[in-house]
Amino acid sequence: MKNFKPWLPAMLSIIILLIFLGVWHLATLPTQGTIDPNLDPEYAKLLGASAAVGQKSTMPTPADVLDKLWVNVKDPFYDHGTNDKGIGIQIAYSLARVSLGFGLAALVAIPFGFLIGMSPLLYKALDPFIQVLKPISPLAWMPLALYTIKDSAISAIFVIFICSIWPMLINTAFGVSTVRREWINVARTLEVKPLRMAFKVILPAAAPTIMTGMRISLGIAWLVIVAAEMLVGGTGIGYFVWNEWNNLSITSVIVAILVIGIIGMILDLLLGKVTKWVSFKE
Amino acid sequence: MNELDPIIKIQGIAQRYPKREGGTTTVFENLHLNIQKGEFVCLIGHSGCGKTTILNVLAGLDSTSEGYVFVDGREINGTSLDRAVIFQSHALMPWLSVKDNIGFAVKSRWPDWTKVQIEAHCLKYIQLVNLSGAENKRPAELSGGMKQRVGIARALSIAPKILLMDEPFSALDALTRGVLQEEVLRICAETKQTVFMITHDVDEACLLADKVVLMTSGPQARIAEIVENTMPKPRTRATLHHDPQFYKIRNHLVDFLVNRSKMHLTDPNALDFDPKYPPVVQPGLDNIAA
Amino acid sequence: MASFSNPFDPNSKLGKGCQCGQHNSQAAHDEAEAMNTQQLGDRAVEGAIMRALFPHDETRRNFLRTVGAGTAFAAISQFLPINFMQEAFAETGGALEKTKLKVGFIPITCATPIIMAAPMGFYAKHGLDVEVVKTAGWAVIRDKAINKEYDAAHMLSPMPLAISMGVGSAPVPWTMPAVENINGQAITLALKHKDKRDPKSWKGFKFAVPFDFSMHNYLLRYYLAEFGLDPDVDVQIRSVPPPEMVANLRAGNIDGFLAPDPVNQRAVYDGVGFIHILSKEIWDGHPCCAFSASKEFVTTMPNTYQALVKSIIEATAYANKDENRKSIASVIAPANYLNQPVTVLEQVLTGTYADGLGGIQKVPTRVDFEPFPYESFAIWILTQMKRWGQIKGDVNYQKIASEVFLATDAMKLMKDAGLVPPKSNTKKFFVMKKEFNPAKPEEYIASFPIRKA
Repeated sequence: MKNFKPWLPAMLSIIILLIFLGVWHLATLPTQGTIDPNLDPEYAKLLGASAAVGQKSTMPTPADVLDKLWVNVKDPFYDHGTNDKGIGIQIAYSLARVSLGFGLAALVAIPFGFLIGMSPLLYKALDPFIQVLKPISPLAWMPLALYTIKDSAISAIFVIFICSIWPMLINTAFGVSTVRREWINVARTLEVKPLRMAFKVILPAAAPTIMTGMRISLGIAWLVIVAAEMLVGGTGIGYFVWNEWNNLSITSVIVAILVIGIIGMILDLLLGKVTKWVSFKE
Repeated sequence: MNELDPIIKIQGIAQRYPKREGGTTTVFENLHLNIQKGEFVCLIGHSGCGKTTILNVLAGLDSTSEGYVFVDGREINGTSLDRAVIFQSHALMPWLSVKDNIGFAVKSRWPDWTKVQIEAHCLKYIQLVNLSGAENKRPAELSGGMKQRVGIARALSIAPKILLMDEPFSALDALTRGVLQEEVLRICAETKQTVFMITHDVDEACLLADKVVLMTSGPQARIAEIVENTMPKPRTRATLHHDPQFYKIRNHLVDFLVNRSKMHLTDPNALDFDPKYPPVVQPGLDNIAA
Repeated sequence: MASFSNPFDPNSKLGKGCQCGQHNSQAAHDEAEAMNTQQLGDRAVEGAIMRALFPHDETRRNFLRTVGAGTAFAAISQFLPINFMQEAFAETGGALEKTKLKVGFIPITCATPIIMAAPMGFYAKHGLDVEVVKTAGWAVIRDKAINKEYDAAHMLSPMPLAISMGVGSAPVPWTMPAVENINGQAITLALKHKDKRDPKSWKGFKFAVPFDFSMHNYLLRYYLAEFGLDPDVDVQIRSVPPPEMVANLRAGNIDGFLAPDPVNQRAVYDGVGFIHILSKEIWDGHPCCAFSASKEFVTTMPNTYQALVKSIIEATAYANKDENRKSIASVIAPANYLNQPVTVLEQVLTGTYADGLGGIQKVPTRVDFEPFPYESFAIWILTQMKRWGQIKGDVNYQKIASEVFLATDAMKLMKDAGLVPPKSNTKKFFVMKKEFNPAKPEEYIASFPIRKA
């Protein structure tokens, strides 16, 4: 199975993409509607393009989406007022929120996970809380956050924080608690001081596990931001989706989905690089 | 320090832990042992007699239920840079290069040294274990034997008073093991290093040890006797078995492991001696074959 | 620079094309810049009086055309102390406690005055710098308003009552200084039901309304109940955000909705539904959306509050003029505001619309903008909240109504703005030909055979 040419997966990906686009194109091709001869042309003017020929408005074709994507990409930073900003600005808002919420979560989760990982007692005592809090949906946190924090901008960041903290906390605690005994013993026989032990032995030993947790967390944070922004609105890529949905512009929604996916992938790739850098083979 | 003042004094140590159904299990007890400076002592015994625990106690990684251990006249209190350990599984940090693994130990020993000093020191010990050229490799890129060389270099680099080795070559293939044994022999001869080593390998003990400490099987393991290796130095693997003493000593050790190590279990009076002074034997000089 | 088009210009129309985008032409822009604030205030008062004297736009326009603006002004000045009123207007309002404000809105046509007041300069005229912020839903706008992220907000008129009573949220004293719009809603059904025009045949239908505490909910329930359908038993009514309504109608998840515009017209535009009736056919002149603020805002920043409400009242009056509707549609259509096709908004605002069944309807009063918060509106809403079990026990109708619906304040502020307010805080009205007497709310509830309480 391993003996394929290196370009084969890429080619297969492209073929799958082309098939997908082809099926999409054919499925959304506007059927030639016949204009009802009895239809008042004045009346037709009041309707949308497809409704005027006696149809429901349809899904956009791939070409529509590409057009729209180009429109959004070629002028990403326009600012037409509070409620209408370019997709680049929206993404910047989302990324800023994600980095704030995720950064704060990392600042809390990694040191705290370290403590939990070092203490089997704490580990066992806190585990039930973590297990209960971990699976809670971001949308469930949102009303509580809005109600108690009384600020939607902070609430959105809080929700990212609270949803992305758990994988990092769990992975850090697990990584720290499973650091090979012998490495710690080596350090002990060398009379290494606790701080040096933490930073020079435990941290690098647990780093791959911690990074895996961070990758999961960042993925969650990026998932959450879209949902949170759709809910609290104002700015961000989630607001963009909501605003276009409000206009029933499925084309723009698909564009946003594409953009969200690509940025999520880039974020994961970046952390993947860092993970590779801290990983070690034994 | 005079010859008779031992660098390590083990006095009546015991390891016990409570049984689940009540009472206590005694792994070993009433253990007394003196090791002189510059001596190479091997500890042989079956699994479960607490050999590794004894080594860990000497290292300061474990504590005992009873008894005392003195090093250089002071009671052991935790780990110390004076007692370096070579672990069975080499225990190298995989995220550090060969040089940095050794450097980590050197920096621990001499925190005030500059990078240049540390580097020079590391390279010296890398050369000592014949690893020049591999300084910047990661442990994953090394063979098992090379890894253990790094472990040895790391332990020696901090110039310890005592070197503690826990079956350092047991995970290696026979060929590599032989090469490394000779290197250890050479290095210890050069540095007059005091060594305490656990092994399963009778040939290894014959080659390396000045004294071989034989332990009975656990539970309630004890030191059965101390065998003095009277073969002259320097020894080499190639010529060792030509020494007339070799088979006497070897047979004595094997005989103990096969037949006598369990004796106290069947006959509590079989070890009828003062545990503070276990019998010292010299089977190599014995005219009657064991 | 604020714009206030000349109320004596019979052809006054807003268009695009000046520097600041707030005037119908560059000439109007220059004129506005040349005018000082005093003159602008005069215009506002004069416009309000003209409107008050001739509430019907058609009559007013004809009158102005016949006699000419100058004559009209001179004639009216003789029997009304316009000069005095203009002075009063100029004097009102001490120092503003806060000038930078945030006002939340939901992107529906009911919010027209709140939205257009920003680009068309109604806020600026009163020294306010208002940022109008589009918000995702009624629960969110409520929470953001309660959390003081917004200084004031567009709400559904039952919401300030519900918030004050703590129904559906923590109780916070809330006020409703002005109604946004009257009428302007509709019942839309999926096209497959185009032959089921009799509500009696709607058993088992699934309906959507925008929020539990909405006129839409109460009007739909009322309408169904009048046709003998128990809204809690015979049909399903769900709370669905407006943008999802059209999508759900298309998918067949719901059979229809009573929704704010542009949702109804959008369903027609997208070819998925038809407009069954306009809400004015249930209750002509019903209030719908409201301009609301916390009691704390009203009491701690009285000058800002008054300036804000005056802006809204003036914007509302402006929006109510038929001749302004088309230009308003193009002002509020962009993505920054409603994000809808202009055609859709024009149909909603002008009342010349496609009904989804092939006909063009002409109902100029499809939606109107009247600011006065009659206390009797509040009482009617409370009777319906009780009728459908949202509130229980004894209700002090009059007290809640006068605390939340600030009719007395509105009277004063309308006067300040040079408008002629109604003489009374309450008025009688008919809902589906049945008269509502605000003095006897309990009897009113008891008179309905279908009810929960």
